[in-house]
Amino acid sequence: MMSLSRRQLLALGATTAAGAVIAPRVARPQTPKPGGTLSLRLWDPPHFDLHAAGGLSYKLQIALTFSHSRLVKHKAGPGVVPGTFPIEGDLAESWTQPNETTYVFKLRRGVQWQNRPPVNGRELVADDVVYSVNRFMTTKGNANAFMLRALDKVEALDKHTVKFTLKEPHAWFVDLLATPMAVAIVAKECVDKFGDLKKAESCVGTGPWILESYRPNQGLTWVRNPNYFAKGQPYIERIEAAVDEDNASRIASFLAGKYDLGWENPGTINRTDWVQIKDQVKRPVRTAEYPSNVMSHISMRADQKPFSDLRVRQAISLAIDRRGILDATAEGVGIFNPPVPAALKEWSLPVNQLGEAEKWYRHDPAEAKKLLAAAGYANGFPGSLCFTTYGSTVLVDSMQIVVKNLKDVGIDAKVDQKEYGAYISTCFYGNFPSMAFGPQTPFLEPDTFLYGQYYRGEARNQSHIDDPIAGDLLVRQRRTFDVAKRREVIHELQRHLAKQQYYVQLASGIYIGVWDAALKNYGPNVGYDYGGRLVAAWLDR
Amino acid sequence: MIRRYLARRLLIALPSLLLASMIVFTLPRLIPGDAVQLMLAETSYAKDIDELRAKLGLDRPIHVQYMEWMGRVMRGDLGESLWTKRPVLDELWARLPITAELALYATIIALAIALPIGVLSAARQDTLRDYLARSAAILGLSVPGFWLATLLIVMPAIWWGWRPVSGYSAFRDDPVGHMLQMLLPAAVLGIAAAAALMRLTRGMLLEVLRQDYVRTAWAKGLAERAILLKHSLRNAVIPVVTLLGTQLPQILGGTVVIETIFGLPGMSRFLFDAINQRDYPVIQGVNLLVVTTIVVVNLAVDTVYVVLDPRIRY
Repeated sequence: MMSLSRRQLLALGATTAAGAVIAPRVARPQTPKPGGTLSLRLWDPPHFDLHAAGGLSYKLQIALTFSHSRLVKHKAGPGVVPGTFPIEGDLAESWTQPNETTYVFKLRRGVQWQNRPPVNGRELVADDVVYSVNRFMTTKGNANAFMLRALDKVEALDKHTVKFTLKEPHAWFVDLLATPMAVAIVAKECVDKFGDLKKAESCVGTGPWILESYRPNQGLTWVRNPNYFAKGQPYIERIEAAVDEDNASRIASFLAGKYDLGWENPGTINRTDWVQIKDQVKRPVRTAEYPSNVMSHISMRADQKPFSDLRVRQAISLAIDRRGILDATAEGVGIFNPPVPAALKEWSLPVNQLGEAEKWYRHDPAEAKKLLAAAGYANGFPGSLCFTTYGSTVLVDSMQIVVKNLKDVGIDAKVDQKEYGAYISTCFYGNFPSMAFGPQTPFLEPDTFLYGQYYRGEARNQSHIDDPIAGDLLVRQRRTFDVAKRREVIHELQRHLAKQQYYVQLASGIYIGVWDAALKNYGPNVGYDYGGRLVAAWLDR
Repeated sequence: MIRRYLARRLLIALPSLLLASMIVFTLPRLIPGDAVQLMLAETSYAKDIDELRAKLGLDRPIHVQYMEWMGRVMRGDLGESLWTKRPVLDELWARLPITAELALYATIIALAIALPIGVLSAARQDTLRDYLARSAAILGLSVPGFWLATLLIVMPAIWWGWRPVSGYSAFRDDPVGHMLQMLLPAAVLGIAAAAALMRLTRGMLLEVLRQDYVRTAWAKGLAERAILLKHSLRNAVIPVVTLLGTQLPQILGGTVVIETIFGLPGMSRFLFDAINQRDYPVIQGVNLLVVTTIVVVNLAVDTVYVVLDPRIRY
């Protein structure tokens, strides 16, 4: 079993490199063993239409990774270090970029839709991709459509070639196509027959498993797609997912060997639960620990006093006891986040490499008070903190410590607790008078974290930032196609933003990925691509 | 007479149902946040929210929405889920039998525990058996159902790596498996109800046992069994039947948690998810059904009084 001591993990925290994760052990080459049933816990998807309203639900996105393909996808397996997302073709065999705004994808030949009505196993063609992308962009209420906002048009050059033309250069375009949050390739026949893709019967894709049944509140079953384009794959014959909304029941099921993966997303077990049960597990399991890309932050009205004063924002960062919050909520195990979550290890700049901005991540209430006094707030000031629980006790505990930390330096933040829907429609979009606190959508590339939160006028620019330096760097990183140079721009951007402290980022926990030792060739990672991580895995039991 | 009484009760029930329908329609809308906000959630834009709200008809005045909904209800149409677009009535027909079955078994278990122990406890007042029975009743009342359910699931998993059956199979597919799935949750639900019923049975029976006609029965030399079960219990049980009627909402309320813990796809869990998603037609449909059921059950309880006590006339 791969594990680290608490001390080792603590060492991974604030003062170490953000990318310091435990690389999973590379499996010895083995002959894949077809067959078997993999059992896991999933969730009731609101429906099965990724392009429709509600499509941003991770419950739906996870479910579709079993049955649907994308043009490109993230590589998976024991050789992939968690927090990295190398891209490989999914339906696309290859792709080229003739100029900064054009991408041409060559599709695999002979890919068949799953042999279910109304598509009945016909060949996938370029028009299917064009149809899916256009549907993704134009379906009313698709909250993820913003991800491809740079797209001007998509067209089929021939039966197996698709051309994307962008309005402006966007270096992350292919990465966005690879994420399970974006375009699943769907069949027009299904939309024509069912009106939309919300019903389980309309869930026909080209992915590795076929959705055999969906039993609301009970579970989902997928069976192997015998016509899947990767020969021999998937090896696992059947996926049985239980909808299990009670934690005690989930613990019991895991201990009883009814789940092959950790029951929390993405195949993990909460540290507090794991500490309680790890000695009770009576079967061989493997574990891997890696930072979570779920990052919470304090946003504040940087366009208004007192938060328009840099010293106030820096004082708030110094006031927050990030380590104390980890101790109280995550068994002391976690990693500090600069503006790009530490989990995205290829792009996040470790806090100790932020240069002079590193000091703002320390807990120093005395220095915070001095800064507040220098800004004219020697006695602090009153404010409010917009908040919703997300149903998470960890988040509530964190919020309470944040409020106490602010109080310690004289900032009297009254908690304005809202119901989730009300919070999302107001505070999540920066509609609050003073401060807000909560987690951010866990994207898999840095651009959606950075551009969305820091660029002037963006919907998720909660702190109302209008910073020309940041704006220039944000645009520049999108236009820099050389990966190493783009990384430099993003690092420079993080140094600048860390100094500005428009958002005060808290630390993230360290996931504990857990899986049955019988599951071979499996590599954990952040993100919702369960199907992608299991397609080349097999069960040896 | 009974017909006239029933007709009068039904007439009284109508305004109650109407009032309840207004409450079940209005209250979910008073919860901050609506279905549209939850559907679009974190990456939506104001324009999308307005458009979707208009598409779902949620932008119209609440009284207009109410009248439209009531009109459909009168025609037997409870609308369709905002999320799944499936008719609420279809969903209810699929789920109601599971919750009803669970509630029925819970009630049977409650009665099977409460009546014998209550009678025994009254007949052997202030003996060790009585003390034990009363202590057990206090324990049953004190132990929260969700805690008991959690223990029953987790402890076997920790000790033996085994957990009770989870998930759900229909009776026609797997009768034995189905009954095994129902047994434990029904027992958990039944125990709490049994405790209250047992205490009331004991108390009422003790009161009846002190009545003159019972003393006369003893004096006539009737057997204890006949005195207890034939002459006393029947008179003592009327308040118990009343309590049983009022226990129904509690049992139905308990099924929300119990169905979640035991993975049963019943109506209560459907309601729980609908509340989280602000799926108004589902919330309204389920609540209306529950309110109607409770009204009907209470009516039935009143009717049972006549059977239990022929002196009662309406």
